[in-house]
Amino acid sequence: MRYFVTIGTRVLEVELGPQGVRVEGEDVVADLAEMDGTEVRALLLGGKSHRILVGREGPGDWSLYLSGRRLQARVLDERRQAIQKLTGMGLGGGGPKALRAPMPGLVIKVEVKEGDQVVPGQGLVIVEAMKMENELRAEGEGRVGRVLVAAGQTVEKDQVLVEFEAPEDHTEKGPEG
Amino acid sequence: MFESVLVANRGEIAVRVIRACREMGIRSIAIFSEADRRALHVLEADEAYCVGPPPSSESYLRWDRILEVARGAGADAIHPGYGFLAERAHFSKAVQEAGLVFVGPSPETIAAMGDKTEARRRMQRAGVPIVPGTTDPLADPQGAGELAREIGFPVLLKASAGGGGKGMRVVEKPGDITRAFEAASREAQAAFGDGSLYLERFLDAPRHIEIQVMGDQFGNVLHFGERECSIQRRHQKLIEEAPSPVITPELRKAMGAAAVRAAEAVSYLGAGTVEFLFKDGEFFFLEMNTRLQVEHPVTELVYGIDLVELQFRVAAGEALTLEQDSLRALGHAVECRITAEDPYRGFLPSTGRIDYLRLPAGPGVRWDGGIISGFEVGLNYDPLLGKLIVHAPSRTAALRRMVRALDEMVIRGVETCVPFHRRVMDEEDFQRGSVSIRYLEDHPDLMDGEEDESILRAAAVAAALVEEEEQGRLRLDLAPQDGRVGFSAWRLGGRAFMGRR
Repeated sequence: MRYFVTIGTRVLEVELGPQGVRVEGEDVVADLAEMDGTEVRALLLGGKSHRILVGREGPGDWSLYLSGRRLQARVLDERRQAIQKLTGMGLGGGGPKALRAPMPGLVIKVEVKEGDQVVPGQGLVIVEAMKMENELRAEGEGRVGRVLVAAGQTVEKDQVLVEFEAPEDHTEKGPEG
Repeated sequence: MFESVLVANRGEIAVRVIRACREMGIRSIAIFSEADRRALHVLEADEAYCVGPPPSSESYLRWDRILEVARGAGADAIHPGYGFLAERAHFSKAVQEAGLVFVGPSPETIAAMGDKTEARRRMQRAGVPIVPGTTDPLADPQGAGELAREIGFPVLLKASAGGGGKGMRVVEKPGDITRAFEAASREAQAAFGDGSLYLERFLDAPRHIEIQVMGDQFGNVLHFGERECSIQRRHQKLIEEAPSPVITPELRKAMGAAAVRAAEAVSYLGAGTVEFLFKDGEFFFLEMNTRLQVEHPVTELVYGIDLVELQFRVAAGEALTLEQDSLRALGHAVECRITAEDPYRGFLPSTGRIDYLRLPAGPGVRWDGGIISGFEVGLNYDPLLGKLIVHAPSRTAALRRMVRALDEMVIRGVETCVPFHRRVMDEEDFQRGSVSIRYLEDHPDLMDGEEDESILRAAAVAAALVEEEEQGRLRLDLAPQDGRVGFSAWRLGGRAFMGRR
């Protein structure tokens, strides 16, 4: 079976077959062992040893922890990938992307307005938490749809602060893009 | 020695102090806020008492309640740790007035060093070098030019009323000073309504190097060499080491003597740190921290001492018996501060429950931490989770050891700055010891969030295998399909491995 694994902005193709594993078109020897009763997996990939913590978050959605990083992976097999392409949902799922508050805090400043075109790294909203000001930046390119908060407002974790218009090219970026 | 000590702090430093208490046979008394009922320092202490709701202002800073707990629990002394009440002269005074011992300097010393301009003046009088310049307003560009030639270019013109970089100019050579003076003065006039300027030597990308001192009640002051703390973000230190790769034995002696003079000038008692800016072999007083530092373990490892134990001893009235000339740094120690911050999102604080914790171990590795599995990392306090410290015979060996220890560490549930430290250990300027307080600005690629290709591939393969396993299990309940019923993906991978052997 061929899988398309989306991690951040990357989509990696992984083919699992009786003959072995192929990643991005390259054959590689892989062995995944489970530490029984735990989320720990010991992966040997081309002889290289990786310790990975896996957590299932939903159908095809996995959270992986390795080398100090928590990565979100969305795994689609080729059939689901084809169906999603046909229905125009894109890899990242439908709907406009949104900027969410990564923590509860106080909005100090909103740096964009509706209709603004933003580039990756551009500051969007400044939120104060732990007595530190944190500038939330655009992770990708896009156009601001709605601004849902104003300076002086307190926000909860994961509250939507800014919505973006759905990108025209759906295949380019995943939800983290 | 004290029978019991109240530790007026939380997190890793409270645990550190409690550990020293236990080793010295002192009853340890912890305090905690309602958010910290399950915190490690509460679990490790002999006794623990709640002092209020989560916000620090209603708990860890409530010195009245803390004193009440100390009296009720029969504490002999209070150790303030760092932060919170550690450098509040009124707290030190209140502890004394309650008939208890404050583990730290006198209220007068704390107050004198807390006022930064007053501290500068005192240090100048004590013969401690400060950044050359004047704090009096300059009359005109000619006067500025003369003074600049005297102290040496480049110089920095600063608005007397200043702040925020307005009315500030770096002047590289004598010919530029008139124009720079006029521009800076106009800017200062416009920004603050006061165009007066003063001038000091401009230090371009200096290092931050500090000296550990310890004083007793008999006027003895010792120093324990330097710590290199140049790797900082917004004045927050991230990586510290001892000794500094650029300090020669002669410089160490000179800086140590200056730090001892600084401490003697304020009749210093207990552990303190004199911070210097260092550039091209010269050092200048920055400020003195009248408490234990976060990064004290690197000094402990190379000098083979326990600074918290020494704090307790001098606070209890014992004399320092160590001889300055017999103190030698042995090997090299490095510390990485492990914080709940995401280095790939501008060090944004990260919150969550720590659901998996594996701490590094093995030769030369020390973990001073304040976390435990199941602990909820919130936003009420500092994001420091703990400090990973290594000790080895040489700097090269210490850096390799740190890489090994960082790779062993697993903290899941919050994002941490571990990947940042891992990248710094591989970075060439850092490896050469060529660093300054501008290190992060000079190396933005350390925070660019690009995942390593081999990591991405490993993650993708693992995700595909566990997904296949998941679907394989589901298929067991359905009709056979493709003749692959029950094949779990990881065994399938294992077969490939076996086949190759």
